[in-house]
Amino acid sequence: MICDQCGERPASVIVKQNINGQLTERQLCHVCAAGNHNFNIVFEQDPLAINQLLTNWFPNQQTSPSPIKKEVAVCPSCGFTFNKFLKLGKFGCADCYEVFESQLDEIFKRLHNGNSEHTGKIPASYGSTLKIKKEIEELRKQMKFSIEQENFEEAARLRDQVKALNVQLEGGASDGN
Amino acid sequence: MAIERFLQPRASSWMSNDGENVDIAMSTRIRLARNLNNFKFPYAYTEDEALKVDKEISAVLLDKGKELKHSFTHISIQETPQLEREVLVEKHLISPYLAKGTHSGSVLISENEELSIMVNEEDHLRIQSLQSGFHLQDAYQRANELDSLLEKHLSYAFHEQYGYLTSCPTNTGTGMRASVMLHLPALTMSHQITRIIPAISRLGMVVRGIYGEGSEALGNVYQISNQVTLGKSEYEILQDLENMTDQIIQQERRAREAILSNSPVVLEDRIYRSLGTLTHARMLTTEEAATCLSDVRLGIDLKMIEGMDMSILNELMIFMQPAFLQRYSDKPLQPKERDYARAKLFRDRLNNDDVTNNRGEDFA
Repeated sequence: MICDQCGERPASVIVKQNINGQLTERQLCHVCAAGNHNFNIVFEQDPLAINQLLTNWFPNQQTSPSPIKKEVAVCPSCGFTFNKFLKLGKFGCADCYEVFESQLDEIFKRLHNGNSEHTGKIPASYGSTLKIKKEIEELRKQMKFSIEQENFEEAARLRDQVKALNVQLEGGASDGN
Repeated sequence: MAIERFLQPRASSWMSNDGENVDIAMSTRIRLARNLNNFKFPYAYTEDEALKVDKEISAVLLDKGKELKHSFTHISIQETPQLEREVLVEKHLISPYLAKGTHSGSVLISENEELSIMVNEEDHLRIQSLQSGFHLQDAYQRANELDSLLEKHLSYAFHEQYGYLTSCPTNTGTGMRASVMLHLPALTMSHQITRIIPAISRLGMVVRGIYGEGSEALGNVYQISNQVTLGKSEYEILQDLENMTDQIIQQERRAREAILSNSPVVLEDRIYRSLGTLTHARMLTTEEAATCLSDVRLGIDLKMIEGMDMSILNELMIFMQPAFLQRYSDKPLQPKERDYARAKLFRDRLNNDDVTNNRGEDFA
């Protein structure tokens, strides 16, 4: 059987279409079948079939004992289980991010080229405190490095900066409320 | 009715063909995904919650949008007939997913159609900024401005580590998808595009045909967009995408020069055959029209065809789609009738006088 459309390749797919009640059936090759979709704008289409990917990464969720404890595997706010998240490829609510946290690092790293931490825009309402927290984290990292390098003078300077920011953080938090 | 103005076959400003590199980069789009605190996300919430989210967000936009000198028209999806929803999809103002109307949802559209906000799509809020040409920074700035205004009045779901929380883990972080629509006929003809696509996907970006699925891009129109939303700032994402798009544009230009110098007559023949088809055919399928449009567009870019306005081609790409055709025929059309209506649309818009147009009888 040769493809009805290109007349070149062997047909491997039967495409049934119902257009305004008229059923048509065509035998197509895989190439023509793939191209034989209605003219549709797929602007908002997921760049990849996320649920497919997730289930492939965690293939044994349903059968083998879950790696995360049963009592934390259900989100109390929306009722999503980790399995449901994998199956749909979607979170049910903001709290899912906390409940499934132990598994998310790996998922995000695979999806986002090894990244699992947001470094972009912060809403103004979170802004002041969060910015300081991120700064402290960064300074701590530098401090650790300085100590490893036995550059204690620099480490002490960084420690003082962290202290100052911590004071600011406490002050800022009470102001914010 | 307020929706009427957005259903007219009239160019939106992003189809205007103004802007840098507009011969290849047709339009730019930024989308920001946001969710509200205190409500479950659309995959888990009830219709009742959906309604509350819709009301809350729509009210803020209608009220505070004025601060940005925009006035938004509010369109409730469930109150909009199916065909009109499809027209909005064909115009890129809403997504096919929102058009399904699974939940109470809305779209708010700015008067120039450059900003549209979908409520209760896959996320509570999707801010979209569309612009003609290659203008990632401008388009982002407009979306960002609106986002910053909204966050003053709405409480967003945000996490210290993960950033903006979204339904889909592929959007978590910045919630931003930036994309540029590219016309790449020469890279497609020379099959170079099949090498470029996999290379780009390794860099956290993705290229695909925007019309239709499968490997072939209808009308040689592709969309390049960022895949990564976590671990890079908005600025870095836009920079990376801009650099990559620049490179693709340069490659397309080189491929055009190569084809033009290797086989100018073959190319010229192809372009004029397509022009002939569009200006004289009595039946045009979407596929044929898209292919011919691509050729004619290339002919204008290469100065082979003169005196034809590119923005008309941009409009035709939108208006030749099924929902538009049916709305303007005022009746549902069978596929064959659509092909006839499509051919007539092209003849009417492209033949401005009778020199090229030997009018046939109207189809009864």
